[in-house]
Amino acid sequence: MAAIRFSNVFKRYASGQDALLGVNFELASGEMCFLTGHSGAGKSTLLKLIMLMERPSRGQVWVGQQDLSKLHRAQIPLLRRQVGVVFQNHQLLFDRSVFDNVALPLQISGYDPADAARRVRAALDKVGLLDRERHNPVTLSTGEQQRVGIARAIVHKPRLLLADEPTGNLDPELSEDIMRLFGQFNQIGTTVLIASHDHSLINRMHHRVLTLRNGRLIADD
Amino acid sequence: MTKRTAPDTPPRRGARQHRVDSSDRRRSWRRHHASVARGALLRLRQTPVASTMTLAVLAIALALPGFLLTVLTNLQALTAGWDTQPRIALYMQTELSDAAIDRFSRELLLRDDLSGVELISRQKGLEEFSEYSAFSDLLEQLEANPLPAVIMVTPLSDDPVKLPLLKTELAGLSQVSEAVLDMEWVQRLEAVLALAQRGSYVLGGLLALAVLLVVGNTVRMTIESRRDEILVSKLVGATDAWVRRPFLYSGFWFGLLGGVLAWLLVQLALLMLEAPARALAELYLNRFELQGLGLEGSVLMLGASVLLGWVGSWLAVARHLREIEPGEV
Repeated sequence: MAAIRFSNVFKRYASGQDALLGVNFELASGEMCFLTGHSGAGKSTLLKLIMLMERPSRGQVWVGQQDLSKLHRAQIPLLRRQVGVVFQNHQLLFDRSVFDNVALPLQISGYDPADAARRVRAALDKVGLLDRERHNPVTLSTGEQQRVGIARAIVHKPRLLLADEPTGNLDPELSEDIMRLFGQFNQIGTTVLIASHDHSLINRMHHRVLTLRNGRLIADD
Repeated sequence: MTKRTAPDTPPRRGARQHRVDSSDRRRSWRRHHASVARGALLRLRQTPVASTMTLAVLAIALALPGFLLTVLTNLQALTAGWDTQPRIALYMQTELSDAAIDRFSRELLLRDDLSGVELISRQKGLEEFSEYSAFSDLLEQLEANPLPAVIMVTPLSDDPVKLPLLKTELAGLSQVSEAVLDMEWVQRLEAVLALAQRGSYVLGGLLALAVLLVVGNTVRMTIESRRDEILVSKLVGATDAWVRRPFLYSGFWFGLLGGVLAWLLVQLALLMLEAPARALAELYLNRFELQGLGLEGSVLMLGASVLLGWVGSWLAVARHLREIEPGEV
């Protein structure tokens, strides 16, 4: 079963800029895949379409069994709860602790606090930050902040994990660590799609790579 | 670019999705309400100066119409004891004998434009005067009763145009020395009170609008200051209701606390009015107790302020939360 399917997807922004032009691809459930291309090639747009942060101008996007064009506004939260996302700028909230940042998706989905606490600690343990749960994320290094972002993305064990330039601000060694982490999630069955322009890193990972150029999918190898 | 390869180990199973069943969901819904309500209250305390100013504005805006309406209710209670039927007092010529006056009053009874005739004889007038007036000592020094006999007639119609005509007609009768249209001022007072009541409804409406705007604006600023939180929450699957909840509770607290303060202000103002009001009532020989807001008024006032706070925050939330969508992240 496909975890993600793009069928002839076009995206033109209100500004008239064409971000995606007839993109077709399928990502099998449990697969790990990189999405690469120059800056502005449409990587972020593609991820946004999966999260319904944007709607395609034409074509269809499927996540699992769900045709996203059939989801109306009120159903979007339920889609997003099935997906974990890691952002380049990590999107952490600096008015609360690391623990509370990671716990946010669980609070929103309505987990019991004791159960949620257990899962938050498991996720923090996974990214090696269990001893930092009480810290404010602002006191952490960039790499650590990124790992908190990852913990938040995987705390509810999503079927699908998306990452937009997750190693954008990190040195090669940290980047490798982060990628290894994604590999581990993939090994327990999570479908992983990572947008990145770090070619050397991607090449070392030996996974499928989708390449975008000017909104077209030009390579799938 | 490397060839696509299978993962190092094939996936054993899909990552297990965690399910939250419906009883869990209800419990978590209640829990979230409680924690959000508490959070919204704590947030008010985090900005004590701004919150106090907002609450003061709300309290004054809510107290003004509450106070005005209470005062009007009191004035109406005060005047309700008075006979508001317009009457005409006919002062008789003093040379007329009691018998002649009695005959005249019977003649008046036959008129079909009068519904009531009451004779106050010279003697009875004197008794009443000495009972109610501070000048009763003065009367004792006079040899004869200086008071004329008075016939109080109640016109059938209380038409403000016909009454003066009737008065003039009665004044023209030879037995009558003077005719005074009585109780006119009570009617005027009542008209003024009705106007003032309408006025305070209008004022209340305007101030309610002000409360909506003040709460709306305060909540709008709170939304703005929590923009990141809203964005992130929406991205990890928060529903509109979840995102809205803390702001609606802010509005609720503003309404409730503003209402309580307004209630205190009204009670304080009434307390200050109580002594002079009693003195005034005594002057008019009226038994009168100043009424406060009462239970009904208090509940109404608090209810209205909570509702206004809540609606005000709804307006802000409906207007601004949709603008904060995680498209631009």
